[in-house]
Amino acid sequence: MADRRDRDEVFVEFTRSICPVCKEVVDAQVNIRDGKVYLRKRCAGHGTFEALVYGDAQAYTESARFNKPGTLPLTFQTEVKDGCPKDCGLCPEHKQHACLGIIEVNTACNLDCPICFADSGHQPDGYSITREQCALMLDTFVEAEGEPEVVMFSGGEPTIHKNILDFVDMAQERPIQVVNINTNGIRLATDRRFAAALGERNGRNGTSVNIYLQFDGFDEATHKAIRGKDLRERKRRALDACAEAGLTVTLVAAVERGLNEHEVGDIIRYGIDHPAVRSVSFQPVTHSGRHVEFDPLTRLTNSDVMELINEQCPEWFKPGDFFPVPCCFPTCRSITYLLVDRKPDGTTDVVPIPRLVDIEEHLDYVSNRVLPDPELRASLERLWSASAFMGTPGTMDSLQAATATAAAECEACGIDLPEAAKDLGDKVFMIVLQDFQDPYTLNVRQLMKCCVEEITPDGRIIPFCAYNSVGYREEVRAQMSGVDVAPVVPNARELSATTVQSPYGSRIARSAGPEEGGADA
Amino acid sequence: MPDLSSFSSVPPASSPADEVKSCCAAAYGTDAVALLLGEAYHPGGRALTREMAQALRVGTGDRVLDAACGPGATARLLAAERGARVDGVDLGAPTLERARALTREAELEDRVAFLHGDAEHLPVPDGAYDALVCECALCTFPGKRAAAAEFARVLRPGGRVGVTDVVVEGGLPRELAGIAGWIACIADALPTSGYLELLEGAGLRVGLVERHDAALERMVDRIEARLRVLAMAAPERLAEAGVDGEAVAPYLEAARRAVQEGRVGYALFTAEKPA
Repeated sequence: MADRRDRDEVFVEFTRSICPVCKEVVDAQVNIRDGKVYLRKRCAGHGTFEALVYGDAQAYTESARFNKPGTLPLTFQTEVKDGCPKDCGLCPEHKQHACLGIIEVNTACNLDCPICFADSGHQPDGYSITREQCALMLDTFVEAEGEPEVVMFSGGEPTIHKNILDFVDMAQERPIQVVNINTNGIRLATDRRFAAALGERNGRNGTSVNIYLQFDGFDEATHKAIRGKDLRERKRRALDACAEAGLTVTLVAAVERGLNEHEVGDIIRYGIDHPAVRSVSFQPVTHSGRHVEFDPLTRLTNSDVMELINEQCPEWFKPGDFFPVPCCFPTCRSITYLLVDRKPDGTTDVVPIPRLVDIEEHLDYVSNRVLPDPELRASLERLWSASAFMGTPGTMDSLQAATATAAAECEACGIDLPEAAKDLGDKVFMIVLQDFQDPYTLNVRQLMKCCVEEITPDGRIIPFCAYNSVGYREEVRAQMSGVDVAPVVPNARELSATTVQSPYGSRIARSAGPEEGGADA
Repeated sequence: MPDLSSFSSVPPASSPADEVKSCCAAAYGTDAVALLLGEAYHPGGRALTREMAQALRVGTGDRVLDAACGPGATARLLAAERGARVDGVDLGAPTLERARALTREAELEDRVAFLHGDAEHLPVPDGAYDALVCECALCTFPGKRAAAAEFARVLRPGGRVGVTDVVVEGGLPRELAGIAGWIACIADALPTSGYLELLEGAGLRVGLVERHDAALERMVDRIEARLRVLAMAAPERLAEAGVDGEAVAPYLEAARRAVQEGRVGYALFTAEKPA
């Protein structure tokens, strides 16, 4: 009789996902194999697909405790009909309100990057929103949130929209706390008056204006591979223009396996040294829209980026310095804050705040029934959130409160730390790791608690990862531009034979594309 | 954190490390670690407390005594999360006042009470408790044998004790000898065998012996981080107080190394009073 064998994996979740090719909803399972977490699903028409979703199985399972009860938005925009993720949104089954709302003002861009989840560029068709549409989108967000925390203008390239400053003004006329401009920096680098105009708006009506600057590294090869051209000088000038205009900048790095993963440490060091930069956001490349060919089984995840940071900045970081964000699903986003001390001898000392405060004790929502310090928890919740942005009053006040509480025990030494901590604001630096989901990694369990949302011109609020993965982006573009848009299929190595290039550079199913011998170049 | 007023060793005031102590510890009659981390802090935090409660099978309605309870965080946790009725005993009267205030705030005063007393002479009757916990404190008691005997006395037959504490194997590393005076926890810590002898000597039957050294390493990280933040936030005041971060750094490094080498660690012990 043959011996029975054990499976080589531990089955941990049953969930739903989509077929990356036809986008139909399919059953999915999450398994742990060799210490890593994988999502696997099968489509009757297109076969079985598997992708790495977290590189550290232990961290994945332990982070389940750091999952905060969601907050209801004031309004929902759709009804539950076909089930997640087909009813966006937000539908009444969504578990979280929107910490951050994205308004894509156009599809046009002054770059044609090989990596662009929005599939933007110099294109013959597309759309650009009007003032009226922007007003409706902002009003939708205000109706849903009351006093929305963060609006991000994105695109396309939002700075080339002729009304972008009007849009900022319109956001500032409403009870919105923070406006972010998600940009490649070319206009900031070349148009000082534009940087100054944003600078003037920073802080107006109590609304901060921040720059979310695409910044992937320092090697020419990185720029060529991810952006299609060498933008190093442009990035430098954009940053200097921001510093001059008094704008706070987040460096946003798309990190792709084999392209720029060796540059994460240098990006942090550069950011810490630049006067305009107060935070860095690392985002493993989202394999939606346009991107370079990849292998879903070896893609980068948040825990991989943490390991890269520990390896590349061993003098500053060690395991445990990042902490998962409880407002969304804890494995989607991790954050750390650093106290940065530039010493007179030219060296820089860094203290990660998670080493000072027992964050775990305050943000554990499952085992914790005795709350040690409700005020500290509230501060930490505001900091470990998708709406936290450096330089904004809410984030800075929370940082001060958390640091002061952490150090308050030392008052016996006669040092008034709450007072001293007020001056620490300038010394704090934030690092965010955000792994957006794509058609391979989409897990409705995470999606249902997403707090980063796309606001559409027809007044819906759609979770960012659903918008990019399920087909909403193509639907909105077709509706707005009047040109049919075929569903985008990830540029995975295993799918290359079944896809062709779309007019925008992304991949689409061969059956949806031009006839044989067409644009598949 | 235990009340440390019973710790009375006075080190010679000569090394830079001693200056730190004279800034904080000596001047306020307490321990440098407590000052940097807060008196409620113990390695492992709530997570280790929960693990201990689980190992002791603390359940609803159980009578639990917390020896050297500090401001009562563990007592409240055991009451709120495990439904136990907890008495905390501590030597420090002001600490107990705070413990009572925090407990009223948490609306747990019907299940958590505090008594003034010494772990070596617990002010409670024989056989009154189902479980007893003592976190990061036994190593600081001058009369450890007496304390262990008291633990056994106050437990009912079949009752269980949980101890978490610093363990030092093969004597304190030489590089750390200089700071033993101002970090009470390591000054008089025992090797694993020492704690086992104490518990067995009191007639208790040892159950679990579990190392939690990572908790101690995290504590070293936290001390280091807090000193560095003090240096950033208030360098002049720190200098006035005579604290020199540069002088402390080698000790922290030595402590981390000792933990990594397994010479200094943190352990959870459980034992049972034979029925």
